[in-house]
Amino acid sequence: MGQIVDIGRRIELVPMDSYFHDIAIALYQQHTTIGPSFLVHTYSRIEDVSQRIQFVVDAMQTLGGMELTESRLLRFPCGTDHQLACKRVFLEACKSDPMQLVESRPDTIFDKKANCDITVLSYGNGRYQVTANGDESGKERRVSAITGGLIKLGDMIIVDEESSDQVAFPCGCSHDALVGLLLVRAPNVRAVAREQQMTASRGVLSSPSQQE
Amino acid sequence: METEIDSMTSRQRVLAALGREPVDRTPVCNPTSVATVELMDLVDASFPEANRQPELMARLAATGYTELGFDTIMPVFSIIQESSALGCKIQWEQKDNWPTVKMREPIYEDVDDINIPSDLLIHQDTKCVLDAIKILKKEYGDEVAVIGKTMGPWSLGYHCFGVEPFLLMSLDDPDKTMQCLDKLKKVTIDFGVAQIEAGADALTLPDHATGDLVSGDYYRRYLRDLHIEFVDRIPIPLILHICGRTVDRMEYIAQTGMSAFHYDSKNQPQESIDITQELISLVGNINNPETLFARGPEEVRQEVYNNLDAGVQLVGPECAIPLQTAIENLMEIPKAVRDWHKERAAQN
Repeated sequence: MGQIVDIGRRIELVPMDSYFHDIAIALYQQHTTIGPSFLVHTYSRIEDVSQRIQFVVDAMQTLGGMELTESRLLRFPCGTDHQLACKRVFLEACKSDPMQLVESRPDTIFDKKANCDITVLSYGNGRYQVTANGDESGKERRVSAITGGLIKLGDMIIVDEESSDQVAFPCGCSHDALVGLLLVRAPNVRAVAREQQMTASRGVLSSPSQQE
Repeated sequence: METEIDSMTSRQRVLAALGREPVDRTPVCNPTSVATVELMDLVDASFPEANRQPELMARLAATGYTELGFDTIMPVFSIIQESSALGCKIQWEQKDNWPTVKMREPIYEDVDDINIPSDLLIHQDTKCVLDAIKILKKEYGDEVAVIGKTMGPWSLGYHCFGVEPFLLMSLDDPDKTMQCLDKLKKVTIDFGVAQIEAGADALTLPDHATGDLVSGDYYRRYLRDLHIEFVDRIPIPLILHICGRTVDRMEYIAQTGMSAFHYDSKNQPQESIDITQELISLVGNINNPETLFARGPEEVRQEVYNNLDAGVQLVGPECAIPLQTAIENLMEIPKAVRDWHKERAAQN
């Protein structure tokens, strides 16, 4: 009787996709024989919806350095789930303009607050260092803030206490494209959190007394 | 005596549980909405239109039974249908949010302002409900329980006067407040009876005298006798719904003669069962914001089991679920109910 099948645990949702008829697109995590894998899925059956889903899947590969499995699921090459980061990749993929070419993000951004370039250097063994050039004042604070942003957004870890500007993923593998993507939001993690809270608060029915 | 699981139809099971009669297993019941944005996509019936067009309303509501495995279909997702028909201004919102009454633009200031229009039941937003019930009854017959909804006079008072003015009136002028409730109850009764005639098997009656603003004594003073009157004048099983912590008024609620009380997760299953003492069935009380929305099937299962262990007669979400709730969490509820019964049968 039902059409719903078991496609894993939903870990993220875009309730209204502004690029395609306000459909809901979700990210599901599955445990497969090759480790954690992810499915981009919508229950919508509007014409051409499969093309929209394919765009998001392709964008996640580019933006997050993910790969497609034989079962057409997405995974990180290291085989780890990196769930928090994967959710971010998914959300950014859904926000990408389908009329524009999706490109992986660079390892350098301009930080307005410190008026300098922030670059994340990859040492090739999964270790990354956040650096800043330009004006000295405030540089250290911004490096620290952005390092903290990478940790919060990607579940990255401080490599050692003495090098607080160096982070890595717990898997110990390099994920350069992913770091470039996280770097875009890292300078303002509070804005990310606010956006998530606002999205989550929509669709919650309040009693009349709670509305006022 | 327990009979074999799933030997009854969903409708039989729900009506039996509402009457505290033997069932084959505990029914999974939603006196309030289980619509989600994903289910809207599945059947191409999105908010806000699904609140205003009967075919869409029926199609989306049916997924609670056909997809989620609940024993009920409840098509009245929102709490604004009657208020819209009375003339309240409505913020209809989009697919991912609820329509709400613009209570900062109230339509009444005094009891003499209350006017129940003669065409209340043919307004688009009330007629939509009646037509949706008819569609569902035609489609599903006696297979599944179709639950309608009629808003109580306290909730209508909030919507039409504004929350603060209405509460202040209840403090400053109890007599006038009672007159308001007495006038507004016509909406509750007329809309409720119309839904019976359309084919509803039971009705949810939300009356938001919630614990955060209204004491148990207020409930006794202003609403208990009205609710007793509703039992007489709306001849169908009634499920009272009040959000929030309500243990201080459950004893009064149990005295109304209503079939069931849909209770909030702020009340523990066992304490609620102890107070109501099987004078009224309980429906609930799976937590929405923390469990159904933010956690996973394991946590949902635990809350289902807590309710079943306490002897709650019908299990379901505590209130209208957030529209972004994951489907697998909702589907876990009937799975958990079946498993609990199987485990218990195996132990016996």
